[in-house]
Amino acid sequence: MANAVQTHESVAAADAHAPHAHIDHDTNTGISNTKLGMWLFLASECLLFGGLITTYLLYKHPLEGPTPKEIFDIPFTSTSSFVLLMSSLTMVLAVSAIERGDHQRLRIWLGATALLGATFISGQIYEFTVFVREGLGFTTSRFSSAFYTLTGFHGVHVTVGIIMLMSLVLLSLRGKLPEHRAETVEIIGLYWHFVDVVWIFIFAVVYLIP
Amino acid sequence: MAIIEALPTDQLALPGAVTSDYKPAGVFTRPKAGGTGWKSWLTTVDHKKIGIMYGATALVFLLIGGFEAILIRVQLWSPRGTLLSANAYNQVFTMHGTTMVFLVVMPIGAAFANYLMPLQIGARDVAYPRINAYSYWMYLFGGIFLNTSWLLGGGADGGWFNYAPNNGILYSPSHGIDFWNLGLIITGIASLAGAVNLIVTVLNMRAPGMTLMRMPIFTWMTLVTQFLLLFAIPVLTVAQVLLMMDRTFHANFFNVAKGANPLLWEHLFWIFGHPEVYLMILPAFGLVSDILPTFARKPIFGYPFIVFSGVAIGFMGWGVWAHHMFVSGIGPISVTAFSLTTMFIAVPTGVKILNWTATMWGGKLRFTSPMLFSIGLVTMFTIGGLSGVTHSVAPADTQQTDTYYIVAHFHYVLFGGAFFGFIGGFYYYWPKVFGYMLNEKLGKTNFWLMLLGFNLTFAPMHILGLQGMSRRIYTYDAGYGFDLWNKVATIGAFTLASSVFLFIFNIFYSRSKAKSLPPVGADPWDARTIEWMIPSPVPEYNYDPIPTITRVDDFWYRKYGETKDGKLVRIAATEDVVQQRSDGKHIHLPSPSYWPIVASFGMPIVAYGLIFNLWLCLVGGIIVVGALFGWVLEPPDDPDAAHEDHDPAAHGSDDGTVVVNAGEVAEAGDVAAEKEPETVG
Amino acid sequence: MAITSHDPIPTSQLDGAVKDYSRDKVYVLTALFLAALTVIEIMTYAFPDFPVWSGNLVIAVLMILMAIKFFTVVYIFMHLRFDKPILTWIFWAGVTLAAGVYLVALCTFRIFWPGHHG
Repeated sequence: MANAVQTHESVAAADAHAPHAHIDHDTNTGISNTKLGMWLFLASECLLFGGLITTYLLYKHPLEGPTPKEIFDIPFTSTSSFVLLMSSLTMVLAVSAIERGDHQRLRIWLGATALLGATFISGQIYEFTVFVREGLGFTTSRFSSAFYTLTGFHGVHVTVGIIMLMSLVLLSLRGKLPEHRAETVEIIGLYWHFVDVVWIFIFAVVYLIP
Repeated sequence: MAIIEALPTDQLALPGAVTSDYKPAGVFTRPKAGGTGWKSWLTTVDHKKIGIMYGATALVFLLIGGFEAILIRVQLWSPRGTLLSANAYNQVFTMHGTTMVFLVVMPIGAAFANYLMPLQIGARDVAYPRINAYSYWMYLFGGIFLNTSWLLGGGADGGWFNYAPNNGILYSPSHGIDFWNLGLIITGIASLAGAVNLIVTVLNMRAPGMTLMRMPIFTWMTLVTQFLLLFAIPVLTVAQVLLMMDRTFHANFFNVAKGANPLLWEHLFWIFGHPEVYLMILPAFGLVSDILPTFARKPIFGYPFIVFSGVAIGFMGWGVWAHHMFVSGIGPISVTAFSLTTMFIAVPTGVKILNWTATMWGGKLRFTSPMLFSIGLVTMFTIGGLSGVTHSVAPADTQQTDTYYIVAHFHYVLFGGAFFGFIGGFYYYWPKVFGYMLNEKLGKTNFWLMLLGFNLTFAPMHILGLQGMSRRIYTYDAGYGFDLWNKVATIGAFTLASSVFLFIFNIFYSRSKAKSLPPVGADPWDARTIEWMIPSPVPEYNYDPIPTITRVDDFWYRKYGETKDGKLVRIAATEDVVQQRSDGKHIHLPSPSYWPIVASFGMPIVAYGLIFNLWLCLVGGIIVVGALFGWVLEPPDDPDAAHEDHDPAAHGSDDGTVVVNAGEVAEAGDVAAEKEPETVG
Repeated sequence: MAITSHDPIPTSQLDGAVKDYSRDKVYVLTALFLAALTVIEIMTYAFPDFPVWSGNLVIAVLMILMAIKFFTVVYIFMHLRFDKPILTWIFWAGVTLAAGVYLVALCTFRIFWPGHHG
């Protein structure tokens, strides 16, 4: 679109067919660079979390200190897992809101997502303090090291997600998040859902499998 | 649609207006594109400058790693060597391996990928120019960080793979392994960001008509390499994070007393490590696959085969890692399975060797320096490949493990393979990058000296290994029959070092002579791929206009056609089909930025903090986070940098499509909009 | 259409990559489905002797439920189902590669064999 000969009108006409900055039409795959990049990053993250989960599975029977069965509080973790699962719903509703041009709802849903994420993180911090009080320190056993590292790594990912969501809310409040940038919200959403699916995996494999 | 067409036109300026109220903090005022001088290198986002910086930095690290190699060889010159203590020797060979793998071979691959790949696909730049700069600075700072360990208590001493539990505090109390660990996490982030960037570039930013199966082989191999990096780096990162937790926060991942299994490290390391060896060799394979057809004046034999064998190597490289662990007690079933996969992976590699040989078969070979180095790769890599297949025979491997036989093998594939290819690539692409040829006579001397030195150094190690000399021993007694071959190897190492210095001398010598020679022109080698149709050195905007591609080796077929009986005939003079240098005024390039270097500068500070004082982490963390926010708030393209008769308002919708973190809309718009007039039928 | 406009715009005109479907309804139904699966997951903990998942079967049941949840989120919420196929390829490459290499690594530790305790 950078051709000097092009007039406002032709730019306008072209834009009309691709309101979100016509990135779709410029790439060979039809996917914007950013979205493709995010999916590649997420594919790479599978190997990262896979390695940490493998480590956990290898080390889940401690030689000393509390065992997973003794220490896990399944009802509590189920609740916080459910909270994180529902944050995926608010996230897609936020994407859908900005695609409709509904900026008020966008901010509400983004805020709700961040709030649910923060609830999850608070739950995790609470869970960690309880575990430590019950005698499961980071260095207690091979199980404790593996458990804290895996869930802590996930927690850091959620925290980064919350920061990005809050940044989006701020951008939107300052009017810097128009509809044609809906894809930005969508891409942050991809990251958020991915963090959620990782937790779906961790919840089943780490907490529920006896 | 109607809703949008009803808009008042001035609303379309909205994104531009949004970006123009961006007020950067004082010193970080956006630098302008097209600058020169040292400052322009610090802020550049130009893939060509970044590629050159990768190459130059890697050559500096090559000298460091080479110096370490010479120390090793001098120590082993005679029995009971006294140059290095056992402790110093451990550090030197560890740092030699680490430097050569992570700071030399991988970055030279990245240098070529950065410089060439966008040219070969006809793009203006990579997909995310700023992330590209970030990758380079992370690599540089990670490498410097790693090497500062020499000044701060000594280097890592556990071998380049730092097996557990030797890598624990108990067995390696100095900070060396911490530096190794954190430094490689930093360069790992660089590689990962680079991988995402380059994959997106190949998939998304090809010139009109450049389908995947019309891409030059080097670009294909870059794609495979970057996919390997994308998936392999996180595995290493996991291992290193676990090690960091152990060493810094006393976790129990490799603490055998608490029931840890040290084999976990070996598995994670080699799940990363085996794809790693393929991602080091594949860029060189790509270069050779472009050089051989040029100097054989024949198309590459079996283009699809060479592409798919590269892809197959990429896939199968994931299924062979445990052949590094045959003596670790993983059990007979595992050993059998991994023996079989290791034998299978020789097949696609053999396909490539066959294709290169068949490419040269019956061609009018021109034995220029790049061609000599390429033939050197084909032959030396074949030797290394054959000794590699012997490792798949588990009983033999049990004898060979941890002997000099292994050292000989991987130097034949990495030096004789990857490095010969890279030096060939340097000779081949030097005129394109710098506008002058490297001296051919010196280049050929360079090749023969290097070939001689290389074989003198590493061929005797096969014998030493089979005689039973272990790797990583700092000295040996007389009377084992090791003396002679160690002397030969040391003489070879000095020969090799002199050939590297000859190469560096050639650079400066040719540069000083170049002033009195006519300019090299766009196509000094009568080459085949499209990067040779643009002026040398490459103008900042790459192509003007972007060519439309109709077949493999498109540029060649603009110059040459075929008669009915298959004879090659010239159909156009080279001067008529190459592009002329234009002023590039109408081409909008991504703007430079300070944020990549600032953001990466914070990382080594965080790493020093993890070693010495956690408060430093806070300082580094603030720099990183602050720089990332500055980066995010900075529009990808500076609207003020738009040239005249290019209305920033009209251009507005191209700017700032992305707010958070990941990217820039590069000049794909220009790519799609411009069609090149056909110059040749 | 100023940026503060709340006028709804048909999604089909705004998002080239995603095919038109009645989104919010699909999303809410999906979330309900996921919630239901989560309830079943928790039931395996609350009532371990229920015949469907008694004994070692519980592992299989949990893994299947987990996989369904995992891919529901990926295909609906991350709308892989409605997006370009190459994204599916990329994501599956990561998932299968991770599953493959790590399962093989765990097998060499004989972790899935009875009596494994490290």
